[in-house]
Amino acid sequence: MEDKLVEFANLLRQNGVRVSLAETLDAVAAAEISGLGDRDSFRSALRATMIKRASELPVFEQLFDVYFSGLGEIIKGASKEVQDALSMSDQEFQNFLDDVDQLLKDHADELSELAKQLLRNENGQLEKMMREAARAVRMQGIQRTIEENYFARALARALGLDKIEQEIKELREQLEKLELGSAFRAKMEEYLDRRLKMLEDIIRKYVRQEREKRDLKSREEARMNQLADKSFYYLSEEEMAKMREAITRLAQRLKNIIAVRRKRKKKGRFDIKRTLRKNIEYGGVPFKLKFDQRKKEKPQILVMCDVSDSVRNASRFMLQFVYSLQDLYSRVRSFVFVADIGEVTESFRTNDIKDALDVALKGDVINVYAHSDFGRSFRNFVGDHIGAVNKRTTVIILGDARNNYNLPHDWCLREIRQRARRIIWLNPESRNTWGFGDSEMERYQVHCDLVEECRNLNQLYRVIDQLVPR
Amino acid sequence: MFSSIDDVIERFTEHRYIASRRIATVIYLASSLQKPILVEGPAGVGKTDLAKVLAASLGEEMIRLQCYEGLDEGKALYEWEYAKQLLYTQILKDKIGEVLTGTKGLAQAVDRIASEDEVFFSERFVLPRPLMKAITSDKQVVLLIDEIDKADAEFEAFLLELLSDFQVTVPEIGTFKAKQIPLVILTSNNAREMSDALKRRCLHLYIDFPTREQELAIIRLKAPEAAEKLADEVVNVVQSLRKLDLKKTPGISETLDWVKALTLLNVQSLDNALVDETLDTIVKYEGDVRKAQEELKEYLRKVRTRRGGADAAGSGSGGGTDKDMLN
Repeated sequence: MEDKLVEFANLLRQNGVRVSLAETLDAVAAAEISGLGDRDSFRSALRATMIKRASELPVFEQLFDVYFSGLGEIIKGASKEVQDALSMSDQEFQNFLDDVDQLLKDHADELSELAKQLLRNENGQLEKMMREAARAVRMQGIQRTIEENYFARALARALGLDKIEQEIKELREQLEKLELGSAFRAKMEEYLDRRLKMLEDIIRKYVRQEREKRDLKSREEARMNQLADKSFYYLSEEEMAKMREAITRLAQRLKNIIAVRRKRKKKGRFDIKRTLRKNIEYGGVPFKLKFDQRKKEKPQILVMCDVSDSVRNASRFMLQFVYSLQDLYSRVRSFVFVADIGEVTESFRTNDIKDALDVALKGDVINVYAHSDFGRSFRNFVGDHIGAVNKRTTVIILGDARNNYNLPHDWCLREIRQRARRIIWLNPESRNTWGFGDSEMERYQVHCDLVEECRNLNQLYRVIDQLVPR
Repeated sequence: MFSSIDDVIERFTEHRYIASRRIATVIYLASSLQKPILVEGPAGVGKTDLAKVLAASLGEEMIRLQCYEGLDEGKALYEWEYAKQLLYTQILKDKIGEVLTGTKGLAQAVDRIASEDEVFFSERFVLPRPLMKAITSDKQVVLLIDEIDKADAEFEAFLLELLSDFQVTVPEIGTFKAKQIPLVILTSNNAREMSDALKRRCLHLYIDFPTREQELAIIRLKAPEAAEKLADEVVNVVQSLRKLDLKKTPGISETLDWVKALTLLNVQSLDNALVDETLDTIVKYEGDVRKAQEELKEYLRKVRTRRGGADAAGSGSGGGTDKDMLN
């Protein structure tokens, strides 16, 4: 039992679940208490001791099924198939097996162990032998589909499949000589054939299952990592769905970070006045110390997001992030612009994310089919909304700064900079292309405190991380 | 102590708590292995109740420690009773003077006092807080550490000694070892991830929202006065509400509140004007209420269609199609 649990723990680890040695020991103790009799209890016992994160539960459930019933189920299924092929009821099959047993005893005592167990339908014994053979050929190392054939052959060799083939052939010849009813003989011959085929089947299925166990999760994980580095421009529909999921998770992670950092900040410097007051009850002896309660710094954020056609994919994710930001911080104002600028704060606050994005991107607020004109947008912003910026505001601008050779009006940005705490510009274009063609990035750059390339999730995460007060 | 998993289920049912086999197994393991349980899951699925019922079914006292941001050792473990210490020194001034008689110089006096100072730092002046109480209790107790995710990471680290060795250290006095190892239940709403060190020491139990059947059973147990049909409908609606993207998904406690409220208002079926006004017992945000109303309408429409269809099938096929079209 211990062996099996240790192996199971290893398997969990291979699939990205962290299981410590202490937890494996707990699992062994728990399995002893729960016993193996009741599958549900056994499963709960392992789950409680080995899995400590709700997110890891699905992996556990999947692996538990594969591991603790896997081979047994395969063998049972195969032997049921044999029974069906012979079209016998359970009772008939049992009687038939008894006859086979008798026959083997009388005429074929020198059969190999495996052949005996196979023909007698001893599934438990068969399973044990298979497992031993699997260990002998180091099947736990299997990883790729390509290796399936190799391991299937190795397992067959370890089990002595060719020897069994030989034995069964001999057995058939022996049957010829015996005086048996023709019906029984026909059945017997078919039985032998089926059994042999079943063994091959089992080997193949077993190897495939072992392989599947090991890369359930690795593939999914690899995909996710790859996605985080992929530029927003080149995403397929399905990848977008995945990305949305990732962004939500990112936002959740941020929330936690913010909570921790705020907490860490809370205690300030030693406060003599309040310490004295508090300790009057102890005769002025300072038993309890008091510290300044620092004011929580609530960042005010103002986001301007370019939603023109050239950055369509990118702005969708950016807006999604802006939406999450609004959830996170109490004071966020959101604007979208192309050739004109419009506020979407209210629609983000009241609509759920899908509707909100539609409102922003469908052109209800501003004309999204115009040619980008950063200069004009900025000028209009300074004219209409400059009051939204004060010395605690962080202004975030999302856009590629491709101005279609219009007037850049970079004085507007200077104006904003003078009133704001800082300006951060996130550009979804690669840094190498800034300043070429109609890109006005270099002109705008001088007024910004931070300019970052923001083409994929990882970069976005890094930027947001800097935004959160430490 | 429980004798088996079934024993747990039985005793919990006696105390009006429906424990699935999964929950019962973990409880049984915890009591046999003497390990703490970390219970996670969404709000309102009966995490705190689990501890209460555990205590009741074992006939033990429950000691509760509610965690919050800024909770420290002083509030959780023990505190020196400064006021009492001061009071004693005031009252015993003469006695202290007596002790000091015959000393020459300040240094000697301080030495003399120092040799007596353990009098003031003894268990007599320790004010035990929940954790200390649970450790020093003569009988076994159930210790509930509620919403551990609200406490700081430092406090979590401080708990480790308690959870693995069931002992706590008071620097001035020494180490207190538990006389009876308490059954510890920690609950978390997953506001933040617990450290691996803490998780390693605990059994883990994830309680999710109940299935339809479980929820019905719970209503029958906890609100037996509710009409069967109403309970059925309420469960249907709540289960479908949980699939929506709500700010706060309704838990079992909200379901129970709603059923009780409706029963109190003498509502027999969800097809009632009063139902809309009681929706705020299950959903707590403005936006959620709106979504819930739509879901409710949708549900009633479906029910009506089904009933209409059934009636029509009884009376003749012609009417049925008309009704369907109307709907």
